[in-house]
Amino acid sequence: MIELFDVTKAYGDQVAVRNVSLRVDKGEVVGFLGPNGAGKSTLLKMLSTWHAPTSGRIQVAGFDTQTKALQVRQHIGYLAEHNALWETMRVAAFLDFVGRIHGLDKARLAERRQWVVERCELSAVLSKRIAECSKGFRQRIGVAAALIHDPDVLILDEPTHGLDPLQVVAFRDFIREIAAKKAVLFSSHILSEVAAISDRILVMHHGELVLDGATRELNAQAHAKGQDLEALVLERVRLHQRTEVAR
Amino acid sequence: MNRRIGLIAEREWKAAFDSAIAPVTLIVSVLFVGTAFMNGFFLDGRAEMTSFFQAMPLFFAVLVPALTMRLFAEEKKTRTIELLFSLPITTRDAVLGKFLASLGLLVVFLLGTLPIPILLGWLGTPDWGPIVSGYLGLLLLGAEFCALGLLFSALARDQIVAFVGAAVAGAMLVLLGDARVKSVLDGLVDDPFWAPGTWLERLLSPLPHTDAFVRGDLALGSLLHFGLFAAFFLWAASSALAAERT
Repeated sequence: MIELFDVTKAYGDQVAVRNVSLRVDKGEVVGFLGPNGAGKSTLLKMLSTWHAPTSGRIQVAGFDTQTKALQVRQHIGYLAEHNALWETMRVAAFLDFVGRIHGLDKARLAERRQWVVERCELSAVLSKRIAECSKGFRQRIGVAAALIHDPDVLILDEPTHGLDPLQVVAFRDFIREIAAKKAVLFSSHILSEVAAISDRILVMHHGELVLDGATRELNAQAHAKGQDLEALVLERVRLHQRTEVAR
Repeated sequence: MNRRIGLIAEREWKAAFDSAIAPVTLIVSVLFVGTAFMNGFFLDGRAEMTSFFQAMPLFFAVLVPALTMRLFAEEKKTRTIELLFSLPITTRDAVLGKFLASLGLLVVFLLGTLPIPILLGWLGTPDWGPIVSGYLGLLLLGAEFCALGLLFSALARDQIVAFVGAAVAGAMLVLLGDARVKSVLDGLVDDPFWAPGTWLERLLSPLPHTDAFVRGDLALGSLLHFGLFAAFFLWAASSALAAERT
């Protein structure tokens, strides 16, 4: 569903993503972890077709992000890093607009709107303008818009940002529930959150992928070394830092 | 027109009325133009709209950028442009949708001025041909300026910068057709063949074309001028947006 082949993204001399190759299959939930500036958002922006890779190739749902951007966008649901929404629109009108632009007919739109409103618990704010909604609601509106056309691939940049602890738990359950038929790639700063939701964990540091492993296996590795998962991740990041210094 | 262009135009149209800028601009403009023109009409005592149509190009150079300035600059500032282009639309769809929405706002302005010819018809017996063609000329000029405004909005990150850029560029295009400006520029060279004022007026200014419409002269050259300039500005806006994303 998602394939990256040796992808690099540079802004002038600044390399944001370096030689990343990875694959995410249908039914997989993959969590992207890394500090600020690691290149997570840049990589997700390339998947959404917003940015082009400087070198390498990306395929989403079988389509190249550069030559078939429109088809890629038909198949993805994307929540951007800052989740900027059209503030003056009413929530219902916003969801309808996104659904209609994805080509949903009236009956399918009504069905999908009801589903996302129920699952994202938006019924209380449907008639409100987005600007009047709290941060937690706005985040859920962004997720609802990403899901309204029932995409095959879900790309979520910091989806739990702004949610309260109960909403975070509900979100985890929700992602697990919808993941069976989709490829889900999401980013976060919080390891426990990534470990709780993901089948696989990716760790980025200074634009490079420094860890890619199944959550269960990584937990087992950490356990075998008498560490917790956090210590294992930190070890990999420090190893990468030392390699960078040596280079 | 494809479905996605229509949906974007519809969203932009509604968004324009969600903020106070477009409605206030339109109401104030209609009141200002109506008052200014009617004064002239009563002073001249003639049932025709030539002075109205001749004043409009420079007025449009200020009015249209006020309607177009937010279209892309605001999306960039608030980062909703990333949301817009995560949807299955092309850059051309976005540009054309926003262009149609801004042109729709200009049509509202033109409709707001219709009491003027209605009053002329009630008080006298105007020649309707030049009035109808004059309005058509203003619509075409408005389309050119909407495309120009959209280009500056696509280039700028701030709507005030987009407004000032489009207003200055629009005013310059209009003033290149002014006889005094043309004469000053022509005086810069001795050879009348290379007279820069004449060339610039012919090649760039919409003023000779709107004047032709005011006279009731619907020339193919004038239609081509407005069509080509609008198409060029829309293409440039689309290219600027595409370049920003690489």
